[in-house]
Parts: sequence; C-alpha cells; structure tokens
Amino acid sequence: MTASRDPDRLIHAFLFEGEEQLHDQIYDAIRAEIDQKRQRAVFGPWRMPIMNKLVPTGLGAAAVVVALVVGVQVLGLTGGGGGSPSIEPSPSPSVAPSPTPTPEGGLPEGPFVIVDGPFDFGDSGLAITVTISAQDWYGEPGGGILGKNENTDPPDGSAVIVFAGGNGWHVPGDPCDWDSTMPETPSTTVDQLVAALAAQGSRDASTPADITLDGYAGKSITLHVPDDAVFATCHEAKFCTLALPGPDPARDCYRYSQGPGQVDNLWIVDVNGQLVIFDWNGFEATPEGDLAELQAIVESATFEAR
Amino acid sequence: MLEELVHQAQRGDAEAFDSLARMVGDRCLAIAVRILRDVHLAEDAVQAAFITAWTELRTLRDPSRFEPWLHRILTNACYAEARRRTRWSEGMRILPVAGTYGPDDYVTVDDRDLLERAFRRLTVQQRAVLVFHHYLGLSISEVAARTDLPVGTAKSRLHHATQALRASIEADSRATTPTQERLA
Repeated sequence: MTASRDPDRLIHAFLFEGEEQLHDQIYDAIRAEIDQKRQRAVFGPWRMPIMNKLVPTGLGAAAVVVALVVGVQVLGLTGGGGGSPSIEPSPSPSVAPSPTPTPEGGLPEGPFVIVDGPFDFGDSGLAITVTISAQDWYGEPGGGILGKNENTDPPDGSAVIVFAGGNGWHVPGDPCDWDSTMPETPSTTVDQLVAALAAQGSRDASTPADITLDGYAGKSITLHVPDDAVFATCHEAKFCTLALPGPDPARDCYRYSQGPGQVDNLWIVDVNGQLVIFDWNGFEATPEGDLAELQAIVESATFEAR
Repeated sequence: MLEELVHQAQRGDAEAFDSLARMVGDRCLAIAVRILRDVHLAEDAVQAAFITAWTELRTLRDPSRFEPWLHRILTNACYAEARRRTRWSEGMRILPVAGTYGPDDYVTVDDRDLLERAFRRLTVQQRAVLVFHHYLGLSISEVAARTDLPVGTAKSRLHHATQALRASIEADSRATTPTQERLA
C-alpha cells in the first residue's frame, strides 16, 4: 500500500468485499427453529396481541414458550399492596381443560389454564389455573395473560400477567436508568424480590404484605410510576421493573411500564421453591368492577405439577 | 410488501416471517460477515438474530422500521458471537476473494491483507460502526440507532475506529516497507 492512497477510500472499498449470500440451509434452520418457538406475547400501548385469535384448546397443552411484557397505568387501584388477601388451599387442585372461546372471542366463565408450560427463561414445572367468573376476558390458553375487553391500554384497560419459574430476577435500582443500575445478583426468593422491588427508586412502593395463594405463602407489593416520568429519557425508552438473569443479551428489560402514573400489584408466591409472580393492573379509569374481577381471578389461582 | 409481511408475521405467520427473512437475509449476512470477519460466525449471528426477531416481533411498534430494528438485534448477536468465540484464528474461514465485488478495483491483494489484519485489531464494536457507516452508507444518527449508542458516542466511536484503522494501516506499511526495499 502506498502512502499516497486514500485510507478512507481503501476502507470503503475493502468493506464492499466479502460474502453476501445467506445459504438456504441457514434459512431452513431458522424456519425449523421458529416453528418450535412461540412469539413473545406483548401487551402494549400500540397493539393488542392475538387475544381475539385464541389457539385451539388442544394446543394449550403443548409446551409453550411465553414471555410477557405488560404496562398499564392505574390510579386508585384497590387491593393488592395494602391488604392481606388470603386464599384457602384447594383441596384437590386439578387442571381443567382450557375453555373454548366464545363466538365473540371472550372466554367463557370457568377454569382457565393460564400457565401450562415453560417460559423462555425457565420451567417451573407448574400448571396454573384460574377461574374466570365474568364475561369479556381474553387470553391465550397457557399464554400467561388475561385482559379485559381486549383492552390493556390507558385509560381504562386491565390485565393480569403471570411469570413462573426461572432462576430469579434482577431488579434495577433505578427503573429509568435500569441498564446501569442492574444488580449483579438476582433475587431468587420471595423476600429478596419483594425487598428489591420495595427499594426500587421512584416507585412509591407499598409496604409488602403477607398473602397466600392456593395455600402457598408469599408477599404482595404495589408499585407506582411517577406522574411526571418521561420514558423517552430512560434507557431504551423503557421504565423497567424486572430483568432476567444471564448474560447481557438476556438481561433485557423483561417487564416494563407503559406510562406515567402506572400502578401494578405484584403478588409473589413460592410454590415448592418456584417463584410465581402475578402482576395485575389497571388504569385510572378502569372500572372498579373490572378490577374486582381481576383480583378474584388472581385469588382463584391453583397450582399443580405438570 | 415488507410491511404487510411484518404484520402477518406479528400475527404468528411463520411463512410470512420466512419470506421476510429471505428478503433481508443476504444483507444481514453481509453486515455480520464484515463485523465478525468470519463467515461461520456471521451465519451463526444471523441465525440467532432472526430467532430473536421472531420471538420479539410483536414488540416492534412500527413495521416500516423492521430492517433497522433487525439490524440492531443483529448487532447485538454479533457482539454475543464475538464474545463466545474469542479464538479467532481457530477454524476460521477466511473471507473469499473470488465471487466478491467492490465498487472499484481500488483494493489490491496487498491492501486486502493489510486491511484484514488492521480490521481484526479493532474491537467488534468499532467494526460495527465502520460497517454501518461505510458499507451501508448510514448517517451517524442511523448508525447510533443500530448500535444502541447515543449519537455523540457513535460519532466518537466512528472517529476512533477510523483513526485506529488508519494507524494500524500505517504501522503495517512501515513494518513491511523495509522488507520490500531489501527484497527490491
């Protein structure tokens, strides 16, 4: 190379050399893998997931890979953090078949298997069933989510999301600057997780309360998002509650909020050593009746080994 | 067309996603090869990126932004691949010269060897900004978006990467010149 040659032009020209065709076997491998992999269901301000396109009941029994992200805004949400809800153990918990969607798309009243397989972060080995006692609830069997009226958005949506299993959760110290305040050590017990959530900055967290679900002990805590929070200034524009353990790529925010003023009730129980998190939430204008239905759904949860 | 495929894929249509992948896969491979400097690693990174894209596709708010969004995932996949495979020289498939093309014949065989060595001395993050800027012709803000960096950081990283590459090229030139002179 001579000194007279333009380095920038050399770099540019050099970068135009190299392989530029992805071989068919790679496409085939990708296709084979996605055929076995379920898309992460997302509740968000921009769209509803396929809540009105429920998979057939039979598919609900298949192993599923589900990860859930929900953000909702609640003001004046009742229950959860302040009280001490207690549920009597189910004498004989059993997993009922997932209900068939009604013609309108809402789920019929009755038992609903909300979790029946592994999440992509781990397998609790649990099937979790809740009882739907009202109309217009939507969800995918085994999908870990129920939402009212296909509406999880502000100002009046409501939903519950369930996470089960895994090797614990990282709780960032600052939900806005979450990338740089992520602890090295995950919270792996109910007490650790609730303590970390209670200490999370700017959440105006409630005092953790004792709860039981299906006879399993745990804690509840209510978290808020400041009314004046500006998500655009946060890392990746996300106000992050929880992240997964693992190498950096896996430590993306897994549960983030949707808007300022949001309030979530997290009910966390230990089911034979497995952390199970119910995050039920609504919005400022969510009808109180919807919230009562939602709380009843969470309180009806039963757990069974798959 | 692409946006419609994204919409379909977001509804769980694997066939639509397969079509999407085939529309943008070659470009993804080209980017990954240039960042990682190894075809096998690049193929692994592209495959990982597409799997991630499939599982995360419903988080994409604007289907028209699919490709930039995918490139960001791909960049992270390249970083992960580079971390996993630190032994660059083992089992490496050198980039083929035959069948490649360039905008001109500016790069000679000697240049190519020199540049390859120089490029490998850069960090994978430096290579990424160079590739997005020089190969895809993206602006600094577009590079920043694809590398998950603030614009100022992307600009700074590009500057330092270019300087490092130039320095490396010049050092290589100085090191080889006496030998060439002796041979002459």
